[in-house]
Amino acid sequence: MTRPLAPDVVRGLEEIVGARHVITDPNRLLVYESDGLTAYRVAPRAVVLPDSTEQVAGVLALLHRERIEIVPRGAGTGLSGGALPTPDGVIVGTARMNRILAIDADDRLARVQPGVVNARLTEATRPFGLYYAPDPSSQSSCTLGGNVAENSGGPHCLKYGVTSRYVTGLTVVMADGEVVRLGGVGREATGGLDLVGLFVGSEGCFGIAAEIEVRLLPLATGVRTLLGIFETMEAAGHAVTRIIGSGLMPAAVEIVDQATIEAVEASVFAAGYPTDAGAALVIEFDGTEQGLDADADRAAACCLEVGAREVRRAATEGERAALWKGRKKAFGAMGRIAPDLLVQDATVPRTRLPEVLARITEIGQRYDLKIANVFHAGDGNLHPNILFDRQNTDELARVERASHEIMSLCVAVGGTITGEHGVGVDKRQYMRLVHDEVEIDMLRRVRRVFDPEGLLNPGKVLPDPDPSSAEKAPLPV
Amino acid sequence: MRSLAEVLPSDAFESVRTPAGEAPAGSPRQGPGRVPESVVRPGSTEEVAAVLAWATREGIGVLPVASGSRAAPVSGEGAYVVLSTRRLSGIDIYEPADLTLTARAGTPFRVVDDALGAEGQWAPFDPPRVNERSIGGLVGSGESGPLWMGYGELRNHVLGATVVTGDGRTLRLGGRVVKNVAGYDLLKAVVGSRGTLAVLTSVCVRAFPRPAIDRVLVLRGSSVGALLDAAMGVGTAPMLPVSSVMANRIGDGAEKRGAALVVRLHGARSTVDADQAALERHIGAAFETIGDDGFGAEASRAHALLTTIRDRGATDAVVLDVSARPSRLREVLSALARLDADALVADTYGGRIRVGMRELDRPRVHAARQAIEGLGGALRVRHAAGNETDQVQGSGPSDDETRLTDRLRGIFDPAGVFWPAR
Repeated sequence: MTRPLAPDVVRGLEEIVGARHVITDPNRLLVYESDGLTAYRVAPRAVVLPDSTEQVAGVLALLHRERIEIVPRGAGTGLSGGALPTPDGVIVGTARMNRILAIDADDRLARVQPGVVNARLTEATRPFGLYYAPDPSSQSSCTLGGNVAENSGGPHCLKYGVTSRYVTGLTVVMADGEVVRLGGVGREATGGLDLVGLFVGSEGCFGIAAEIEVRLLPLATGVRTLLGIFETMEAAGHAVTRIIGSGLMPAAVEIVDQATIEAVEASVFAAGYPTDAGAALVIEFDGTEQGLDADADRAAACCLEVGAREVRRAATEGERAALWKGRKKAFGAMGRIAPDLLVQDATVPRTRLPEVLARITEIGQRYDLKIANVFHAGDGNLHPNILFDRQNTDELARVERASHEIMSLCVAVGGTITGEHGVGVDKRQYMRLVHDEVEIDMLRRVRRVFDPEGLLNPGKVLPDPDPSSAEKAPLPV
Repeated sequence: MRSLAEVLPSDAFESVRTPAGEAPAGSPRQGPGRVPESVVRPGSTEEVAAVLAWATREGIGVLPVASGSRAAPVSGEGAYVVLSTRRLSGIDIYEPADLTLTARAGTPFRVVDDALGAEGQWAPFDPPRVNERSIGGLVGSGESGPLWMGYGELRNHVLGATVVTGDGRTLRLGGRVVKNVAGYDLLKAVVGSRGTLAVLTSVCVRAFPRPAIDRVLVLRGSSVGALLDAAMGVGTAPMLPVSSVMANRIGDGAEKRGAALVVRLHGARSTVDADQAALERHIGAAFETIGDDGFGAEASRAHALLTTIRDRGATDAVVLDVSARPSRLREVLSALARLDADALVADTYGGRIRVGMRELDRPRVHAARQAIEGLGGALRVRHAAGNETDQVQGSGPSDDETRLTDRLRGIFDPAGVFWPAR
């Protein structure tokens, strides 16, 4: 049972943010029990919703004085449990901090509060001929503060890079409420350490980014989208290697496998992919209009050379949306196949994709689990999605063992345990697959540089101190 | 004091100080700085770790140098050794289809570039004198050249590194995949830390396919100021060149009076043609096309021009780094006008300027710094002949940043052995 906050603490928080923005009613707290990783649920003691840097500073200073744990939360779309409450903690949500503070078209920069939704920034900058490049699949709901915390990727990161490339400056509220400013365009010549780069991806453990300066890019004038249909996943994998090896630089290269195609086509999201295909490849080029047909022709030729059954092209924006639908709605479509979905995330060197996919299929068969693959093929970033029913305890145990094998496999071929979803609580148990004790100790020490008492987002990222206990960590439900 | 010879094999010693106190070979540039006790060149990560553990135990300073081409004279008190990564050389893993390459830190960048070029690939790194530097030195410096405009900063292309902390702990940071968020991004702190946090022994960088066309365009003018409108226009064009730099004294002929704006476009021929047309429409001027072979042989005009502008002023007696928001460039250039710069190279898209001068005019540099800081920018003396870098107060990190930096140094280098690098 969650311990309620002392009345004077609640009053103190209410004085800072207003009574309406401190939530302690257990029924209203239910919404905050989990993030996008719904297998984990913990009720927080309270939720506080500040709307300015000063309010965040006041809230954190008060909680720090009381030694109360702080769990930052954006939109709660994260898939690694990074915003999972702690039983002793208070959630500090950024939902009200949703203002775009400045769009500076001359310098191609924007300054935003952390609660601004990713896609909204591009909408707001489009009239200036600019856009914000990182596009996580959840971009219509995820926030920029969450993107900073997770160093989020997205389909178009193949060409444009992930969040850290675009974050140029931060105003951070530290665990004790102190406000610090890091980086900023124009200050490069100071020659300091890249503290902004270090902060991005710190999963809410270093501080709360209360203002974020990001770089914008000019909108591409043209786009071409192709859909390659393949008999086998292996052939689709070879097409990816051929396209990348040919010197082309697609904006995105995404694969969905047969299990995913079946799920999508049987759902309300049906995108017209042939259900007997082994895999579908979405390839997109963007940039200057005049060069795009030549690029698209070459990519189509690459697909056909390795045996694509057909290559479709979008001629209109509507057709483009239709080709993408099978990829973007894949997770939603899986909801109708099984009650629960574990969205896995790992990266392998691109050339190892065919081998790794074959072995993931074998692992699924061995544990009698349905695994559907959707992934950013150009980056080697896999999302094996395990479909299961958490009420079935035997199946749940098999999901856990299969996940561990998949992670070990990805690491063994030179990859890593998470490419873009973060460690959160979900991947803590796998951290020792990629880091030795010296490295984990160093991560712990760096965390203490920012948060000496360990009050910010405790229980995330770092594995438990005892290696033997981590091996046996069960999947909490 | 336990001797360094007890922890390192004899072939790891390049030179030691003579009894007369003369600088050992391989020491930092001649000048009034302190002379190191010895210059060591470990042959493995383990030997680097042994040197650093020894230095921490014995309280001896360590100056990490890569190619040694950029090492500044050392001021301050206390004995130190120079740790050269030159022997840590060679490409360990290069899988062209993965577009990643892992090399030991001392590998010359030219060797990396040749290996990539043989497979039709490249790494978009173009800071000054890049071909004289080692891959570890480049990564340690964190310096991006003008190509950051089209490809992103150097730090975004460093996928992983093996580093040794000041007290001899070995850390593998990142990995060799393009996307990796398994733990806090300590790699970002090390890239660009210039030997003040750890010694890099191996790095993995991202490679790119070489574009079909590497077009180099030039617009000439009487001065940098006269080209400023065109240069600013490049930054707001509806397309993105891969680099855009203007420099003074780039004109043809012996006098080199004029200035030039050099823009680089990458892609298929049809793309590049269209981009050039769009760019020219946007700024209302026609460029001279120098060539489509910026990657070409050193004899090619395009390659030669890119090299000239890349290195312009970088070896002058005094080099200043200046940064500001791009929209403030006109005011920044006017603040720099009083410096009588021998070389001025401005990346207008990034608002980054390199100024080369024959001598350090302290009052004028000080005045320029104040003016630029007033515009929200920064000015730092990158190097100055002799040991004058410290004698002109440059813009530095904020108090907040300094405090966090000091705490980070405390955990990467608890005994402070990297003091000669600061």
